[in-house]
Amino acid sequence: MGFICAVNNVNKTYRFKGSDVETRALNDISLSIEEGGFVAIAGPSGSGKTTLLNILGGLDAPTSGSVIVDQTDLAGLNAAEMSEFRLHKIGFIFQAYNLISTLSAYENAEYVSLLQGAPKDRRLFEARQIFKDLGMEAYLKRRPTQLSAGQQQRVAVARAILARPKLILADEPTANLDSRTGSDLIDLMAVMNKTLGLTFIFATHDKMVMEKAHRLILLHDGKITQDIAQ
Amino acid sequence: MLTFIKIAWRNILRNRARSFITIAAVAAGLCALIFLKGFVDGADHQMVANYTDLFVGHIQVHKAGFQKSMGLDKSINNEETIAAVLRKTPAVAAFTPRIKEFALISSPESSSGILLIGVDPERERTVTTLHKKIRAGSFLSAGDNDKIVIGRQLAENLKVAPGDKVVIMGQAFDGSIAASAYIVAGLVEAGAEDLDKNLALITLRAAQDLFVMENRISEVAVKTHSLDDIDATAQNLRDRFGRKNFEALSWKDISPMTYQWLQFDQVFTSLILFIVLLVVAGGILNTILMGVLERTKEFGIMLALGTKPSQIIRMVAAESFFLGLAGAGLGTLAGAGIVLVCGRTGIDLSALSQALNNFYIGSVIYPLFRPVSIAVYAGIVLFLSIAISVFPAIKASRLSPIEAIRS
Repeated sequence: MGFICAVNNVNKTYRFKGSDVETRALNDISLSIEEGGFVAIAGPSGSGKTTLLNILGGLDAPTSGSVIVDQTDLAGLNAAEMSEFRLHKIGFIFQAYNLISTLSAYENAEYVSLLQGAPKDRRLFEARQIFKDLGMEAYLKRRPTQLSAGQQQRVAVARAILARPKLILADEPTANLDSRTGSDLIDLMAVMNKTLGLTFIFATHDKMVMEKAHRLILLHDGKITQDIAQ
Repeated sequence: MLTFIKIAWRNILRNRARSFITIAAVAAGLCALIFLKGFVDGADHQMVANYTDLFVGHIQVHKAGFQKSMGLDKSINNEETIAAVLRKTPAVAAFTPRIKEFALISSPESSSGILLIGVDPERERTVTTLHKKIRAGSFLSAGDNDKIVIGRQLAENLKVAPGDKVVIMGQAFDGSIAASAYIVAGLVEAGAEDLDKNLALITLRAAQDLFVMENRISEVAVKTHSLDDIDATAQNLRDRFGRKNFEALSWKDISPMTYQWLQFDQVFTSLILFIVLLVVAGGILNTILMGVLERTKEFGIMLALGTKPSQIIRMVAAESFFLGLAGAGLGTLAGAGIVLVCGRTGIDLSALSQALNNFYIGSVIYPLFRPVSIAVYAGIVLFLSIAISVFPAIKASRLSPIEAIRS
């Protein structure tokens, strides 16, 4: 099986406005992740997990180094091409769910596939199927504010999966959930990984997620300290 | 596209208080614009109508050159030629012949230079409203060839009243001295100082006798069915009479100062309307900007998920369009309603009647309902509400997704 993404000698340095002080978030990172992987990137706060995920998803650019996702070199993309790239190739699951508050659960879930131009019948059919798999059939029409934290995160998972991306990036997906809900959610994503062949990369410091991942990459101060196949 | 419209619509509903304030601001601004425009149009229409109806008429037909240099030598001896053309002109409602000449009026106490007009009393009533402005005595009637109507202030200067005798002196058409005595039949108060101080009316027959002008007249005053017909009718008459023999002048040619004042008034009003438009536009811009700032995170999420910047722009523009449409709809209904109601009842400005009368405007102003003007202003406000959303829309579309999500 080939690689879905590869980063080579990636550095990321932040300079805060009005200050000459630089913070190095990533320090010469190189790694590649195989297609269909179920990978956890772990490490303490400030280790660079989220920065690496944002760079993989095209939300942030590296200071130096190259990032290739699904054979696309992200350095060569302009803003519009980057939007297209994110739309078709990346699924995001955020720590704070980041649902659109004015849309219902169903509308949130179908948002990305709608942007992709998927036909309505397919969107509706697949959304119902995924909501059923997630145990959320009864909540299709609810607004995010009418859902619990776990339910909101399931909608975010549905949104990411419905778009049929090459790669799903999940930033601390269980951080705001209780352990039972978090565990169920990761199990659900593991099923999706197995049945649909979707690649998942988690940024996490949740031990449960680390244990369930097939590969664990440990970061510390922006450097990879361990890369363990499980 | 429907999703963006749906999101835009829901954003409007999400902050109902702010949306209501914006819609109300747009509606109030447009309502004010429509009312102000209707009011000014009504006042201007009244001014033109009063000015022309009082004495000038809508159009005057003279012998060529009369307007530039008024005199009996430029009189018309073939009135019927003009009358035949006027009768065949559909826009002409009525017309009346006149003799017009400067003369000297004297009483036992004083004397004064005047503009003496010889009128056909019955036909003059169909063209002008001087007969309605009599403040003492009565207007001329057919056969009142020994009577005269003079301005109220002129009467005060001469110290005469109805029933008193005055003498008119001037130069006749044949060069002889024209002189005759008349009994004051009535005093006219037109409200315009120049007329009240200088105007005197006798019958056309009396004027022809006085100036030895058998079958001659100085001018034909014409009234059209509508003020909107004046320019086209004047041009039509010019074409038909030919410029060599006669001149057909609209009131704008006869009194360019009044016309210029009216144009200045229109420019000044447009300036005020423009300022009101700016205030309305500022209100919409402020609301849309607030809405964009409030939803920075949401735009960040949308951009992160692959929404194109152009789609964000369309969504923000759609939101402005909905707000503008609702505001413009309500403003149009309210503005048109107020103009229609006030157009019937009138707006009583009696406290300013003296000042208004000097401009030939009555103390009750009737705003004018002009659907085209209303549609134009509604269209401008709607266009503005979309156009001014471009800046906040572009601002939203250029957000960095990651920074916006963190905000």
